[in-house]
Amino acid sequence: MNPFSLNPTQLAGGQIALAVLLAVVGFAALLPRPVGRRVGVGVASLVAAAAVLGVFLYTTFGSPSPDVLGTVLFYLFSAGALGFGAVLVTQRNPARGAIAFAFVVLSTCGLFLLLAAPFLMAATVIIYAGAIVVTFLFVLMLSHAGGPSDENDRSREPLFGSLAGFAFTGLVLFTLYLTRVEATAGESAHRLPVPVVTADEREKLADALTRIDAAAAGLDGDLTTNRFERLQKFEALRDAVSAVVGASPDEGGVRDGSVRARLEKAAATPGVPAVLYREDEQARGVLRRAATVRELNWATYKAVNDNLSGAKPDGAAAKAELRRLRDEVLLLAGAADLPARNVGNLGYLLYTDHLLAVELAGTLLLVATVGAVAIAHRRRGSDGPTATPKPPTPHHPA
Amino acid sequence: MITLWHYLAVSAALFGIGLVGFLTRRNLITMFLCAEMMLQAVAVNFVAFARHHGNLHGQVFVLFILAVAACEAGVALALILMLYRRGKTLDASAWQTLRELGVPPAVDTDPLPVETRGEEPRLADAGVRPEPAGEEAARV
Repeated sequence: MNPFSLNPTQLAGGQIALAVLLAVVGFAALLPRPVGRRVGVGVASLVAAAAVLGVFLYTTFGSPSPDVLGTVLFYLFSAGALGFGAVLVTQRNPARGAIAFAFVVLSTCGLFLLLAAPFLMAATVIIYAGAIVVTFLFVLMLSHAGGPSDENDRSREPLFGSLAGFAFTGLVLFTLYLTRVEATAGESAHRLPVPVVTADEREKLADALTRIDAAAAGLDGDLTTNRFERLQKFEALRDAVSAVVGASPDEGGVRDGSVRARLEKAAATPGVPAVLYREDEQARGVLRRAATVRELNWATYKAVNDNLSGAKPDGAAAKAELRRLRDEVLLLAGAADLPARNVGNLGYLLYTDHLLAVELAGTLLLVATVGAVAIAHRRRGSDGPTATPKPPTPHHPA
Repeated sequence: MITLWHYLAVSAALFGIGLVGFLTRRNLITMFLCAEMMLQAVAVNFVAFARHHGNLHGQVFVLFILAVAACEAGVALALILMLYRRGKTLDASAWQTLRELGVPPAVDTDPLPVETRGEEPRLADAGVRPEPAGEEAARV
């Protein structure tokens, strides 16, 4: 495996250098030119370069936990993107290049799907497929099919061009190697950051959600009867929520919920590894959210308690309070990973945090439309020698 | 398990391929497609980081990349159309008269291969009575 007894840095650097060298040879041999194009050598070099890159990825970043399906799909889509990209660059016929680019876009859409971005996948397919069809039509319209031409059968400095591009890629890969998280195949050496919401807590929150639904269903009918049973349901629900998020001071002393105990108190406790402590944006957001749920839990319990104990219990008002609590608990339960409601959350983010950017993008689209029309506008008389404008013929009424 | 670094490495390679294509190819439309491919690589980076950090800001950024790419496609195709009208070619080197002072012009030395075609099929001339081939029975 390691015949030259290299240290890991030398090994990774050697793999990167070998991949870059093979890719440069492959592209220099494959790029179109009138004489000396060697398809066999080029394809063999590119396949070898891709293999070396795959080995580099495996030995450097490893596969700590066996996720066979995800791994296979990742390598499939990556190979598709890189392979069709190579076809686009080295293909002499620009129409075939456009088709290859469409496949590159489809492969990257597969990667988007693996990265939990279904809306982006759909948007990219729609926008790029439209753009590709338009570009394809342009290619068909503009490129004359007759014979070799300067633009399709010549390249600008194939060797130095590939060297420049892949030297850049090699430097990026080496930087990635230097900044990687230590991981070895077989066992996980990741010092995993503490999850913001554990699976256990998520189960508890889901249980609380069903309790909320049951309590809301119990608010139907005559509210003056069975008050005690109803209130008992609400107490159980309150305790279920506060087991996770903690209780409010009004309830008699602060009791930490499990979220806060893990995320906030872990740093203060001696003996707990420092890696458990998190202070990133996600942890802070979850802490804020847990605090909101804590306040709302207590407020809802008090409001519903007063409501039901009063002389004229109002079921609709109590249901509205429960509804608010339910939404917050649901948001907290989903805060651990990327949210499942991808489209809804993207829209929420667009119109809250990035509103100015949305307006600017709209302005940019408008300006680009005007610019494209202004550039492509055909002025009279400027289009070749035959297009001299005729003087207007005078109109003679009979 | 595929980590963030796998995605970063693949998008770096995709960006490199696009860069090579943009630097070496001379067809304006192919150069444009290569630039779009580099944008795709950057988009994969952003989405991978969004997954890594567990928020959606990276995906929002990719949405803006899509908007800018759409603008770019419109303007670039309009420009390419104008250039084609002026020069009747898609070759980027046809405009090398715009190069910097003191830079020698690039000259293509190797001649393009001549494509030989066979005889194209022809139809019989119209309006001429075809010669009867041999003794053929009259068909009604």
